[in-house]
Amino acid sequence: MNPFDLRGPEFLIFYFVLSAVVIVALHRYRQVVESGPPPKIDLADPYLIAYLRAGESEAARVALVSLVDRGLLTANGTTVVRTKGASPKSVRRPIEKLLMERFASPAESTSIVADSSVQPAVNEYRDTLTRLCVLPDAAINRSRVTSFLLAVAVLGGTAAVKIFVALSRGRTNIVFLILLALIATAIAAKVSFPRLTARGKSLLLDVKLLYSGLKERAGPVASGGANADAAMLAAAFGLGALTGDSFAYAGALFPKATRGGWSSLSCGTSGGSSCGSSCGGGCGGGCGGCGG
Amino acid sequence: MTAKADSFGIGWRPELAGGILANLDRIDVVEVIADDFFDAPGSHRRALRTLAAQVPLVLHGVTLGLASAVPVETKRLEQTARLFDDVRPRYWSEHLAFVRGGGVEIGHLAAPPRTDATVEGAEANLERARRVVGVPPLVENVATLIDPPGSDRDEAEWIDEILRRSNCDLLLDLHNLFANATNFGFDPLDFLRRIPIGGVAAIHLAGGKWVGAGGERRLLDDHLHDVPDPVYQLLTEVGARAHRPLTVILERDGCYPSMECLLVQLERARAALREGRKRHTARGEEAA
Repeated sequence: MNPFDLRGPEFLIFYFVLSAVVIVALHRYRQVVESGPPPKIDLADPYLIAYLRAGESEAARVALVSLVDRGLLTANGTTVVRTKGASPKSVRRPIEKLLMERFASPAESTSIVADSSVQPAVNEYRDTLTRLCVLPDAAINRSRVTSFLLAVAVLGGTAAVKIFVALSRGRTNIVFLILLALIATAIAAKVSFPRLTARGKSLLLDVKLLYSGLKERAGPVASGGANADAAMLAAAFGLGALTGDSFAYAGALFPKATRGGWSSLSCGTSGGSSCGSSCGGGCGGGCGGCGG
Repeated sequence: MTAKADSFGIGWRPELAGGILANLDRIDVVEVIADDFFDAPGSHRRALRTLAAQVPLVLHGVTLGLASAVPVETKRLEQTARLFDDVRPRYWSEHLAFVRGGGVEIGHLAAPPRTDATVEGAEANLERARRVVGVPPLVENVATLIDPPGSDRDEAEWIDEILRRSNCDLLLDLHNLFANATNFGFDPLDFLRRIPIGGVAAIHLAGGKWVGAGGERRLLDDHLHDVPDPVYQLLTEVGARAHRPLTVILERDGCYPSMECLLVQLERARAALREGRKRHTARGEEAA
């Protein structure tokens, strides 16, 4: 049976199935080509993790909130300024130094989003993640383009032949086929060119799982730069993960980025502990003993 | 000085994840509870492999029930084997305890009667574990609040016999040793003298609390408190007697203090073992 002899609606069903097969094949091919064993990365660097999750603007947002949390920058509504007495010398990471210099005088927090001057400070992260094949390198990009063009050739070629056949037989009801072809091509493009490689996507899921304990106790995460928990929580799950009054400023600084935080999760996780937390301190609770 | 390959780590708990990952420059090794991953989804296994790519792992089992006349369940051994192949840990370990009998899970790492029957049972179970997993486990001494009834030998003799017959190495839990010595009035140094100290490959450190009242007071190993001073002193003693590199793991199962507090305990452990190593070296030089 020649599919090009199918009538309009039947051919549309055939083309829909063909598109689905091509898109699934594209996805599977990319998974195979881009997968790999877990890479060794600096899981203690919150800005690397934020970059992995959502790119340079997110790394800058997490860095800004981390600096405010540590008292090196001061937030007042949507404005941020370097805290009196704080110096860029007191931080070590390039993105932190850049932000300390940038906010020497008051400026809007959102001014760092999509700002090209942030780029050089996070290039290191991009290079690291690209070297580890977490972000696509030149070879992966070439492979993506090749497979995408092949898919376009199959989808576009099939549609073009059918349109030619239809027009040659005096039929002009080809709008739905053109629409379907455009939609299939758009989906193929989306499947072919994600920001992360398959290896990167797996790594991000793994990082989120490894840090899931932090998420579950998001309520009592210490503010004030007591430890890296707040920065790591924001890095792995987004600024919306920083709940509680002590992080209310984050919502004011980046309302869009913090929207949809999981405040419901924080309810009920903050209380109930009878444990002391100081070194050498006792513990009110206790279990039946571990024996192990 | 600390032996070149002595390493110090912490038990992986989700609540400590942030602190552990943020301090991998001060943590040499992470101990993972194997049983937590037996039936875990594939994504959790993959996350564990990602963790293993960052820091050396060791696997610790809690449900095999090696020291028992009841044969270890093949399914659990196979799960251990699959996890071992997946993660490639430095070693795996399990307790010299019984955890089930007659189809009943007791939900506790119980000390079995120290008899020929449990020595033989442990020997058979360890042989099965070695065959299925491909690598024998380190076996760990357990804490107990009651002297196991029906025993015809003490703990040191029982462990020594199992180690010799099975050719396994020992994961020496110093808080379990301290608790048992305290509760049953024996000298922990005498225990160290009587076990094959050269077979100690790893150490567990933990804390506990007193339970009961008056003459019935017992030290409970609950993993919810800081490591007490006598346990560090025992670590020094082990360092002075054992010459092989040791993996020292700090266990904490709840009532979590700050990560810094746990790292301070790890540093104390480094210092204690270093002190023991110095003594060992000095003794060697004297002998020479």
